[in-house]
Amino acid sequence: MTATDRPLTTLPLGPLHVALEEPMYFRIQVDGETVAGVEVTAGHAHRGIEYLATKRNLHQNLVLTERVCSLCSNSHPLTYCMALERIAGAPPPPRAEALRAVADEIKRIASHLFNVAILAHLVGFESLFMHVMQTREIMQDVKETIFGNRMDLGANCIGGVRFDLDAEGAAYLGVQLDRVAVDVAQIRELYASDRSIGSRTRGIGILPYGDAVALGVVGPVARASGIPFDVRAKAPYGAYSRLEVPVVSREECDVWARAMVRLDEVRVSIDILRQCLARLPQGSLAVSPLPLVPAGEAVTRSEAPRGELIYYLRTDGSERPERLKWRVPSYMNWAALEVMLKGAAVADIPMIVNSVDPCLSCTER
Amino acid sequence: MTEMPLPFAAVLFPGGVFALVLGLCLKGLDRRIAARLQRRVGPPLAQPFFDLIKLARKDSLVPKAAPRLLFLTLPLAGTSTAALAVALLPIGGVYAPPAALGDLLVLLYLLAVPAITLMLAGSASASPFGAIGFSREMAMVLAYEGPLLMVIAAVAVFVGRAEGQTVTFSLTEIVAWQQAHGPLIGEPALWPALLAYLAFYPANLGMVPFDIPEAEPEVLDGPLLEYSGPALGLFELMSATKAVVVLGLGIALFCPLAPADPATALVIHLLKYAVLTALGVSVVRTAMGRMRIDQAFRFFLKGPLWLALASLLLVLGRMG
Repeated sequence: MTATDRPLTTLPLGPLHVALEEPMYFRIQVDGETVAGVEVTAGHAHRGIEYLATKRNLHQNLVLTERVCSLCSNSHPLTYCMALERIAGAPPPPRAEALRAVADEIKRIASHLFNVAILAHLVGFESLFMHVMQTREIMQDVKETIFGNRMDLGANCIGGVRFDLDAEGAAYLGVQLDRVAVDVAQIRELYASDRSIGSRTRGIGILPYGDAVALGVVGPVARASGIPFDVRAKAPYGAYSRLEVPVVSREECDVWARAMVRLDEVRVSIDILRQCLARLPQGSLAVSPLPLVPAGEAVTRSEAPRGELIYYLRTDGSERPERLKWRVPSYMNWAALEVMLKGAAVADIPMIVNSVDPCLSCTER
Repeated sequence: MTEMPLPFAAVLFPGGVFALVLGLCLKGLDRRIAARLQRRVGPPLAQPFFDLIKLARKDSLVPKAAPRLLFLTLPLAGTSTAALAVALLPIGGVYAPPAALGDLLVLLYLLAVPAITLMLAGSASASPFGAIGFSREMAMVLAYEGPLLMVIAAVAVFVGRAEGQTVTFSLTEIVAWQQAHGPLIGEPALWPALLAYLAFYPANLGMVPFDIPEAEPEVLDGPLLEYSGPALGLFELMSATKAVVVLGLGIALFCPLAPADPATALVIHLLKYAVLTALGVSVVRTAMGRMRIDQAFRFFLKGPLWLALASLLLVLGRMG
């Protein structure tokens, strides 16, 4: 009997499942312990935020976009502000741009460490999970100390930022970064060499270069499949044009490579933060007075922790946007799951799904 | 081996309250040690008891598609079998099971029953995750039963020949022989078998790296997915009691030595349990991740099976 004429079992993964941080339904056809087909059903976290955005004024939308999702909560208002500023023709002062990069990189470190920690949890390596989460906790403390919040930083405003780093704050951040850097070096070594991590993540969830290009995946998923694409380097925005941003990419195309790309990007982020601290321009924190936003439209993009985030904004001169739309990285990346999951073992499904770091509340908003 | 003094007999009633309590205490100890190894505080030592009390106060839901009688009988069968198996285990210097109860072979059969009830439970729960748990549990049993059989055979032949017979399957005799001639842990020919046993018991207890049938992120507790309330509590009791049996078997086979004074002997016996739990369960499960079922199967075929076989051949060759 060949695999095809055996009856397949349907494995309902989700909409609520311990391996998924958010609701999503994978209808998986399994032949024994092998995945024969996957059907992804999304839409469980739809809240109508794009519609809501057209009912609120431009300032209120800053708060709204920050609450689209928690892990990229800084990327959304940042990209939204960039669109507004482009329409208004009022770029933020250099100091604000540098501080925006600070906020963004702090969030990126925490987000990447979170994903890598969850991978250890899914592999059943609880000690490593705890270890990575403890390192991430340093970044959570940094957020709380500098911004007053552990998830939503409230760092951006139209034309600039809402927080400042004085000498004391900068020194504190520098010290914490040194602590994180030491831990991350250890963690990277562990992920690179530990046998139980390697045996469960290497060679599974393969997304070959060709498929990655065809599917248009972005972020760490693309960079782990040999596509060195990073908005911060390819189309620098804000302070990134003045900063050195090396692009990490790997050729292995598997779950392990995605984790390693994230860990290496944590090191890059630490380096970017140090560059920002060393060369923090003086000056005001935001344009003043606030410019009027005329009728117009703009498309802006930034590199969120999960990849390229694109915002489209159209204004009509009133206080409310006429249309606000965004395309999030997970939208591109989760289509790649069908390629990655084909032929995978049931035991590997959670690791593969986690490796694209799907952010459902962003995607379904 | 002496008659058991009355006060001990009351608490130690073999297979009864003693085993259940000891099993749960070991579980609490394991959770605490694992937590400390991960820089956490960890739950109170009595947490498994609290969990059990909570489960006892809840309802057991039975899935519509599940055969009700079988579904609810399985946890009972599993727990009582595990408790019965404890009665077959001698405690050095304290308790020797009556020969009428049965020997090592009976114990082997009893030891297989909890795994079988888990398989049936997974299958009876009418859930695809239970079904996957069933097939994984079966693969695990196939993987570790072989090495266990050979470990037991190696010890049985060793002691049997030393006593002038061909083989002895009486655990009491094996323990008594060690009391007189020193523990088998000091016998180089049996070291491979000891290693095989050390790999076997985390697998039998379903601990990382071998918690594959119940892996939470993969199959949502597998066979136990549909169980709740007292029925789930019974399965918890079963796994706790099984731990007592499996660890007790190792102690009896390799290191049952104890002083003549029953009170000291009992304390030392309990310490051995604690050490085996700490080193073989807590440390191992915090130091690595879970294997995939094919990896675990291959591991047992490549490692413990050959080790146990090597011991058996060594014993046969050296004394034959």
